[in-house]
Amino acid sequence: MGKRMLTLLAVCLITVMAGCSSGSKETTYKIATDAAYAPMEYMDKDKITGFDVDFLEAVMKEAGLKYEIVNTGWDPMLTEVKSGETYAAGVSSISITDERKQSYDYSIPYFESTNMILVKEDSPIAGALDLKDKKVAVQLSTTADSLMAGIMGNDSPLLKRFDSNAIALLELDSGGVDAVVADIAIVREYMKNNPDKKFKGILDPEQFSAEYYGILFPKGSELKAKLDPAIKKVLENGTYTEVYKKWFGEEPNIDNVLNAK
Amino acid sequence: MDFRFDIIWDYGPLLLKGSLLTIGISILAILIGSILGLGVAIGKMSTKWYLNWPMNGYIHFFRGTPLYVQILIVHFGVVPLFMGQTNPIVAAVTALALNSAAYTAEIYRSGIQSIDKGQTEASYSLGMTHRQTMRFVILPQAIKRTIPAFGNEFIVLIKDSSLVALIAAPEIMYWSNAMRGQYIRVWEPYLAAAFIYLILTYSLNKLLSCIERKL
Repeated sequence: MGKRMLTLLAVCLITVMAGCSSGSKETTYKIATDAAYAPMEYMDKDKITGFDVDFLEAVMKEAGLKYEIVNTGWDPMLTEVKSGETYAAGVSSISITDERKQSYDYSIPYFESTNMILVKEDSPIAGALDLKDKKVAVQLSTTADSLMAGIMGNDSPLLKRFDSNAIALLELDSGGVDAVVADIAIVREYMKNNPDKKFKGILDPEQFSAEYYGILFPKGSELKAKLDPAIKKVLENGTYTEVYKKWFGEEPNIDNVLNAK
Repeated sequence: MDFRFDIIWDYGPLLLKGSLLTIGISILAILIGSILGLGVAIGKMSTKWYLNWPMNGYIHFFRGTPLYVQILIVHFGVVPLFMGQTNPIVAAVTALALNSAAYTAEIYRSGIQSIDKGQTEASYSLGMTHRQTMRFVILPQAIKRTIPAFGNEFIVLIKDSSLVALIAAPEIMYWSNAMRGQYIRVWEPYLAAAFIYLILTYSLNKLLSCIERKL
């Protein structure tokens, strides 16, 4: 008994560093997502749905590839895509940033987004710089987090980072913070779901410049070469506009997305 | 405060499915953890250094590091090594069982050491071996004494199993998070989850006190 336990323990410790395995090549690409970000990607009961899901379907159809989308959660998605063994890509409203580019490959941009400030209707806050000495809630490790860290200071005790936007928004609702900063799609969805709550959304294009979402690949991915032309095609042939209208009820600015670099 | 029972109702079947998985994961982890724990406890109490050192280390590691991190290590390190790819349910059972074994080991030890030394000596003088003494004299008494402590450990394990939502094992918390993500609401998913855990732990409590009375 004891010896077996010893071996087990040894195995546990050794594998901490390893995480290696031999992934078999499949024709069906597994794509990871963190389906907790309505309306971009979320679970509708046991079905993964949202804008990104419909967009991915259009792209994979265009590329003629078989795929399966799996809800892995955010951190596992990043780990899985980085190793690239089980999952060939991640689609999850992932903003293209220089820091992430050091560890991953990105597709060409497919979605334009920006961050929006949500405050109580009677709040005097008018822009991002007004938030400097206010209490602000964000979702951890989003671009809203890094933008506000830039404005308020990374170690500011006034910047509260939550595990999810839902909890950040609840904190605002309960008066714990003066504002929430999050992706515009999230803020709008929240306002749509809570019309009776007196909130307003504020855009600040000067401080919060446009950011673009891309599909996340492991470094040196071969799938990227197949998907980039398909994404371009979907953007240009009107399929993208259809999907966009279905989810957001308005026309996308395709030129911005196509010209973004 | 508006509380939307309708979205809990919508997610009812999935929460039920999640509950079944939580029960399955917990039962397996409790069983495996209890068996491993006994081995670890006996190893730790052994006078041979090559048994008690590693078992001591095992207990220190699994009690001294966050379960959160252990789940990630098992999910991304241990399970792929054996199965070639990640598998959240296997990882959940493994991580919870390994973690639980460290705690149950100490419970076994406290039970075993609470039995008077005289009993061991009496057994030896009757010609019983160490193994027989443990099996027929010490352990039956020790286990009965430790049932309340085991009850504690099992209840904690059931609640700790909510952490495996981190690796997307579709148990109760996973579906609560899905509900949270879809409606951007907090109370409905979490209070529903809390209520289910309360039912599970209450039932376990009843079961244990039943066993305690029968023994």
